[in-house]
Amino acid sequence: MSRVGRFLRSVFLADILRGLAVTLRLYFSRKVTVEFPEKVQAPAERFRGLLRLHRDENGEPLCIACKACQRACGQNCFDIEGKKEEGAKVMRPTKFDWKLDRCSFCGLCVEVCPTNAIRHSHEFLLTGARKEALFFRLDGMYLTGEALQDHLCGGCRRDR
Amino acid sequence: MTPFVADVLIPVGKIAAVVLFPMVMVVVMIWLERRVVALMQLRLGPNRVGWQGLLQPVADAVKLFFKEDIRQRGADRLLFALSPVLVMFSSLLAFFFMPLGAPVRVGSTTLTLWVAESPVGLLIVLGLSSISIFGIIFGGWAANSKYPLMGALRSVVQILSYEIPLGLAVLTVAFAARSMDLVEIVRRQEASGVWYGFLMPVSLVIFWISAVAETNRAPFDLPEAESELVAGYHTEYSGMRFAYFYMAEYAHMVLVSSLVVNLFFGGWLPPFPSVAALAFLGLVPGFVWYLVKIMFFLYLYVWIRATFPRYRFDSLIRLVWKWLIPLALANLLVVALARFLR
Repeated sequence: MSRVGRFLRSVFLADILRGLAVTLRLYFSRKVTVEFPEKVQAPAERFRGLLRLHRDENGEPLCIACKACQRACGQNCFDIEGKKEEGAKVMRPTKFDWKLDRCSFCGLCVEVCPTNAIRHSHEFLLTGARKEALFFRLDGMYLTGEALQDHLCGGCRRDR
Repeated sequence: MTPFVADVLIPVGKIAAVVLFPMVMVVVMIWLERRVVALMQLRLGPNRVGWQGLLQPVADAVKLFFKEDIRQRGADRLLFALSPVLVMFSSLLAFFFMPLGAPVRVGSTTLTLWVAESPVGLLIVLGLSSISIFGIIFGGWAANSKYPLMGALRSVVQILSYEIPLGLAVLTVAFAARSMDLVEIVRRQEASGVWYGFLMPVSLVIFWISAVAETNRAPFDLPEAESELVAGYHTEYSGMRFAYFYMAEYAHMVLVSSLVVNLFFGGWLPPFPSVAALAFLGLVPGFVWYLVKIMFFLYLYVWIRATFPRYRFDSLIRLVWKWLIPLALANLLVVALARFLR
C-alpha cells in the first residue's frame, strides 16, 4: 500500500474499526464454555481415569496376579498377593490393594499388564470426604459407575 | 411547598441520588465488563450469582470487605490511607455538576436533575477529575514499594500529557456553545438542533482517545500494566482500600462517559428532534436518554478493552505529542475561525 493510503487509513482509524468489528462478531458467535455441573463433556477416548480391573466375557477375572503392575508402578500404588487354586490353570489374586492417593495416572501398569486386566476408565469425579475411600481392595477394583461413586463419596453432598 | 422540603429535603435527596447513581453504575459496570469481555473471548463470564451473574460485584465486594488490610513496612500512613479516598471522592464530587436529565415538573415546582449549576462547571469537572491523579501518585509513592512507584511515575507522565488534547477538545465545545456551563452547553445543542459530536467529529475523537487515557483504561492502562508492574499504583493495597481504587476507576469511567454525552451528544435530549415522525421519542424522560447514551460509551470502553493490546510507553507518548496535540491545535484553530466568521 502506498504511503498516502497508509496515512489515510490511520487518520480515519480504519484498522481500529476493523478490530472492533472482529470483537463484535465474536461477541455474537457461539461460546466454547461447557457449564460443568449441568452439562458434562465426555472425556476423550484415551482419557486416563480411575484404574479398574476387568473380567473376560465368561465373568472370569482377567488378572493372573503376575505383579507386573506392582513392579512397574513408580509410586508403589499396588500391594498384590496371588494364589493358584487346586486344579486351576493360572493364579488368581487373593489381595489386590490399590491406593488412589498415590496414583499419578501415568498408565505404566496398564501398559505392562499381559492380560489387559487393568485399564483406565473414564471416571473423573474423584472427590470424597473420607480418606479411606481412596483405598481400594480387590472387590472395590471391580466397581463402576454409581457403585464406584458411592465408594468414593458415600454420603457427601456433591451431585453424582 | 414548605421551606423545609424546598431547602432541606430536596437538596439532601438530590445529593444522595447523585452519590448513589455512580455507585449503582459502578456495580453494573463491573458486571458488564466481565460479561462482555468474556463473551468477546468466546467465554461466558460470571453468570451464577443472581440473574445472569448480576450480583457478582456484590459478592466480590463482600469478599474484599473481609480481607486483611495490609500496609507495607515504611509506608506513609497518612497518604496511604488518604489516596483511595481522594480518588473516589474526586470522581463522585464531579457528578454534582453533571446534568443527569431534563428538569422535571412536579406540581408547581421544577425539579432540576443536577445538584449545582455553575458558569464554569466544565472547568470544575475537569479539575476534579485531575485531582484523582494525586490519589494515584500518593498511593504509588506512599506504599514504599518499587512497582507502585513506577506505576505512579507512568501515570503522571501519561495523564499530564493527555490532559492537553483533552482540554483543547473541550475548548472547541466551549467555543461553539459560548459557555462553560454544562447545562447551558446541552441547552445550546437543543437550540441549534445539531449535537456537537456531529458538528465537530474531530474534537469528539480527540476527546474520547484522551479520555480513555485519562481514566487509565486499556489500551492506555500503562500505570497498571499487569505484565510489567504487577498492578501498578495499587499493588500494595488490599481489602477495602483496593476496592476503593477499583470502584473509583469505574466511577471515573461513568464520569467521562457522562461528560462525552453532555458535551457531544446532547445530554438528556432525545435524538432526531427535527423529524416529525419521531416526535414520540420526546415522550421518553430525559434521564432515560442520558442513561442510554452513557451506556453506549461505557460499552465502548469495554469493547475497546477487549479488542486492543496495550500500548508501549514510548508509542503512547508519541501518539499524544506528535499526533493528538497538533491535531487538537489545528482543530481548535478551525473551530475558532468558523465561530469568528459566523
